[in-house]
Amino acid sequence: MKQTRTSPSETTNAEIDRILATEEPLLPSSGFLMSVMERVREEAAAPAPIPFPWKRALPGMVVVACILGAGAFEILRRALPVAGEFTLAAPQISAAMERSMEQAGWVALAMGASLFSWMLAKRLAGRSGLL
Amino acid sequence: MRRTFRLSSAPQTASQRAATEDLADVERVLGGNIGAFEGIVRRWQGPLVNMAWRYCRDRGRAEELAQEAFVRAWRGLAQWRREGSFSTWLFALAANVFRSDLKRIPSVDLRLEDAPEPAGPATQHSVLAAQQSSEAVRRAVLALPARYREPVILFYFHEMDVGAAACTLGMPEGTLKARLSRARALLRSRFPQLENEHAAMKLTELNTGKEA
Repeated sequence: MKQTRTSPSETTNAEIDRILATEEPLLPSSGFLMSVMERVREEAAAPAPIPFPWKRALPGMVVVACILGAGAFEILRRALPVAGEFTLAAPQISAAMERSMEQAGWVALAMGASLFSWMLAKRLAGRSGLL
Repeated sequence: MRRTFRLSSAPQTASQRAATEDLADVERVLGGNIGAFEGIVRRWQGPLVNMAWRYCRDRGRAEELAQEAFVRAWRGLAQWRREGSFSTWLFALAANVFRSDLKRIPSVDLRLEDAPEPAGPATQHSVLAAQQSSEAVRRAVLALPARYREPVILFYFHEMDVGAAACTLGMPEGTLKARLSRARALLRSRFPQLENEHAAMKLTELNTGKEA
């Protein structure tokens, strides 16, 4: 009769399976159910987070997007002829670019100020427990 | 083999009954009855605490993790799509909670090479030696690299059901099998004496059978 031989790795795998599959089950402590329900009730009793006021904010966001879009368009409109005209003398190119850069700087400054005020407002709202 | 929590191989009627009860309780909770969540916790507290225990091997922490998983389940109950079973969704959510929490504070800061050796032949009592050896292997699972550790934990938690473990992890079965194979190879290299122990155990079983 032919006997089937198992390789050492198969034997070890079988032993690993035996050890890891036969773990003594752990019973939850008697107060576990109560403590979970207590936390769930606490969560339920807590006031719901204030949703973001999309309806109120949307018109403002549209206006800001339009302003930014118009600003970007204006910068491009002024910068493009300068880039396209290769015949311009060097000082003229420099002046045009300088003007555009200055305007872009103001836009960046305004955006930075907006970001700062938004972060400040968020921080203050967080401290007051609103968020 | 002694098991209390039957998961994949549970009798069909019992699992069907549990699924029906889960669905009814979820509907009631979503309808505003917070107390109905108690039924869900009662049904799944055992499996979830045991699953957490396998992740950290610390009883207190296992209960904390299981509690956190239940609270997250309560918060996200409306997100459960009825396509799969509630238990599948709950286990996947719990696995995410355990994984992220243990990433924050690891349960063991141990390399596989530093995992404690199982009891040697010097130990007088063979049963105690076997228990210590088994515990060493179980603890070594926690020292496996993260990508191999979780497939091992969930595969044995789901009573060696590859499909269920893959579903909980959200990975293809083939990937899970490959990771299990690699994990076993790592454990084999760490505990080469397991082969002898298995042979000794088989011999004992054979002798006991003859005597009987």
